[in-house]
Amino acid sequence: METTATNRGPDELLATDVSTLTDALARLPVHPGQHAEAFFERLETVELLPGGTRDRLRLRREQGLCVRLIEAGASRLASTDAISGYTFASCCDRVTGAAGSIGPAPRIRVGRWPPLRMAEIERAERQLEKAVNRRRVGFPMEVTVRRHRRQVQVIRGQVSAPSQFEEYFSLHVKTPWGVWGGLLPSLADEDLDPVATCLVDRLRSRNLPEHADTPRVIVLGPCAAAVMLHEVVAHTLEADTLALTGAPESVVGLKLGEVHLDVLDDPRLAPNGCGRSSDDEGTTVIARWLLRRGRVRQPLADLDWAGRYQRLIPGAARRANRHLLPGPRTTHLELLPGDLPETELFQEAAGGLYIGEFESGALNPFDGGCVLRAPCARRIGASGPVDFVGPVEIRSRTVDLLAAVTAVGDRPLAAGAGWCAKGGSLLPVWARSPSVRLEGLA
Amino acid sequence: MKPLRLPTIQALGTALTAVADRTGASNAEFYVKAGCSLRIEIDPWRPADASPSAPEDWRLHVGRIEERGWALRAGGNHAALFIADSGPLPAPGGWRRLNRHSLRAGSLRLPTPCPRKASLPHPAGNDLPNDESEALGRDLIRDVVERTRDELPGSRLVRARLEDGASASVLANSAGVTGRTAVRLATVHLEFVVERNATRGACSLYRAAGNPKDLDAAALAAEVADRLTLATATPTSFLPSSEIAVAPSLASSLLALLGPLFRGRDGWERLQRLSPGDSLGPPDLQVLDDGALEGGWIRTPVDDEGVPTRAVALIRGGEPAEPLLSWEDDGWSGFSASGCRRRSGWRSPPEISHSHLYINGGPDPADAIRSGIRHGCYLLDRAPDGRSQVTFPRSDNGGEASFEIDATGFVVEHDRILGAIPRARLSGSVRQLFRGIRAVGDDLRFLPAPGAVGSPTLLLTGLQLEPVAQD
Repeated sequence: METTATNRGPDELLATDVSTLTDALARLPVHPGQHAEAFFERLETVELLPGGTRDRLRLRREQGLCVRLIEAGASRLASTDAISGYTFASCCDRVTGAAGSIGPAPRIRVGRWPPLRMAEIERAERQLEKAVNRRRVGFPMEVTVRRHRRQVQVIRGQVSAPSQFEEYFSLHVKTPWGVWGGLLPSLADEDLDPVATCLVDRLRSRNLPEHADTPRVIVLGPCAAAVMLHEVVAHTLEADTLALTGAPESVVGLKLGEVHLDVLDDPRLAPNGCGRSSDDEGTTVIARWLLRRGRVRQPLADLDWAGRYQRLIPGAARRANRHLLPGPRTTHLELLPGDLPETELFQEAAGGLYIGEFESGALNPFDGGCVLRAPCARRIGASGPVDFVGPVEIRSRTVDLLAAVTAVGDRPLAAGAGWCAKGGSLLPVWARSPSVRLEGLA
Repeated sequence: MKPLRLPTIQALGTALTAVADRTGASNAEFYVKAGCSLRIEIDPWRPADASPSAPEDWRLHVGRIEERGWALRAGGNHAALFIADSGPLPAPGGWRRLNRHSLRAGSLRLPTPCPRKASLPHPAGNDLPNDESEALGRDLIRDVVERTRDELPGSRLVRARLEDGASASVLANSAGVTGRTAVRLATVHLEFVVERNATRGACSLYRAAGNPKDLDAAALAAEVADRLTLATATPTSFLPSSEIAVAPSLASSLLALLGPLFRGRDGWERLQRLSPGDSLGPPDLQVLDDGALEGGWIRTPVDDEGVPTRAVALIRGGEPAEPLLSWEDDGWSGFSASGCRRRSGWRSPPEISHSHLYINGGPDPADAIRSGIRHGCYLLDRAPDGRSQVTFPRSDNGGEASFEIDATGFVVEHDRILGAIPRARLSGSVRQLFRGIRAVGDDLRFLPAPGAVGSPTLLLTGLQLEPVAQD
């Protein structure tokens, strides 16, 4: 294993002349209604388990490709766990059902992969402990650190999109009173600091009973607001979710919230190392207004759904891996700040709750029901959040939750990053949001 | 699909030597796995102006997937390494990038050859999905949809995914342990919705079989129709909880939640705390885990470290009998180990895990259990998107293990259905869950959960059942 310390990113995934591949794909369709696509993927996960574990370091690498033949919304896919001319030709044969479908196998070479760089991963556990200790507390923690790298490249028809590289980290912290998990764009102090805050909050609220009532006012911190928006805006406005109950484009123009709700999905704005210029179908991504002044502007769509409904714009396709089909998903969600200073969100909110983070959220796509679970919260006093309360569960409907947002803070923060597990496909999602104030939830 | 090709034991031995030479590791192990599957996904989307989607209008996504990867574990008393990669195993000269510095602080121990020979025949591993499987899968889903519509007019398929796969693995370690396994498994995941009485209800069903031909469309349709009927029913206000019969699907979900009680030393200590000086459950309660279960979906002669599998009686005669112990804990408290370390794929190291975990069928006919309820509930399955959790307290705070699971079912009086339960929360202590078992049915059934978890119908007493408001 290499241990050279350098931050240089990888080369293009395909270090070969892609025109030979586009030519080969052009031979697959048998009539004009068909088109072919190839998806190449490389992954690396470095995992460092807690100190004291027997085999602490785990390194996983994989690469593979899939070829897909698409016709009128239906498709045939063949995937494999190696990138080579032979496996590419074999996948082409499997989707067409004919041997030698592209003639001789093309030559495929993959580009250089960045070096392993272990130092930051090995330092993370100690840094997190220090961040916790700075809050004048200390407790046993088992920290598992993972660094995820993913590079993909898509060739669709005659076009090859530039390869996309993502690098991010995930932390899994086990304490005697529970487990915290989340994604981080880096392991720098400024990214580990909010994790320490969450861990200390959980320490202070341990063993407290579940909070039963829904208060009149709830203030959601940036992390909690981001998770709420992920469930009630992003998932709700994914074309495949909308299609379960009607035509996805029929929601365009629908008023879901007040005029201070401007929600954007822009994969290019994801934190450093995670931004994307094209999606997992090779389509250029756009800054997509999901909600503009509280009204639905543009649902999330991939090429398939954009082909079915003319008002939908593609560019939001994501796939968990080469063996699965793409689907419309959010990548980086952003709630635009309002003009209310954060402190004013707590005015006349005494008796309400401040929720710093939700640990999970779920949306029922059929009736719009949403469940958000927070491991702890703080009661709001005259001057802001005061004493801790136990776990809180908010059950409501999408429309009610959005209608309850009465104010948006003026200080947006990168927050609420995590794994989205819709349909069993784990995808990293990012967000930036200010705090929000909810009123009148039943 | 092409037969699954794996390296020979001899090739693995050559690679082990190469790795040991380069890294100086005293222990090393290679695990190689290959699999192929056929996946059929149905997209029943239709334009809003069209009539309900007929099977001939479905958009079909067919995937032919080939997966292959390997994992290397190497190390000794003070250093260890785990590497996994996709594709074929590198040639003996392909380990040049490894050296002594590749190993990091840690340790690695590996099993040694077991004198007890694996009792199962060598798996063939060439029973693969083929073109016939594609037609079979499509017909199965079509059949389920049509039968469900017949049983419950207005029901609509939302998503369907059928996966028919086969996998094979080979492993060898530097101590001389070798093993080969092969598994064939078909799973089907169905999601339906229906709108009745101004209520929209949904259900999700996930079932498995050793072969797609064993998936029964009529049974699947009946299960879907039952769950949709319940999801759209008017809830009953009073839930009598003195006698609660749970169907195999819900009982299996409960058993899956309790899995940590049966694994390793920690599990055994938890299980002991549930029955201090007393029996845990009724005498006819038997809980087993058997990696070599005859007819089991994931039956293998050895586990993913090459240790022979066997039937382990976890609870026998209502008493804790033995824990699921890996070879490392062989002899702990006088218990014998079994092959119980599984990998979730080639990317993962082996961990203690159940294979076929089940409550053995009892003497009571399931029909008799249901009809014998004087005034109680018959719970069919987990409620979709409901709560399902078990809490094991830390040993030092003196709390009691408890569980809660959201379920759906009926209020019954003898053989008569008095009302429906679209969603209710069954909860209580784990101790009471075992102690309150009054009857064990004879209708053992397995569910994929993960691994295979099975149970017959159970009659439970002493638990709480409370209605949960619909979202």
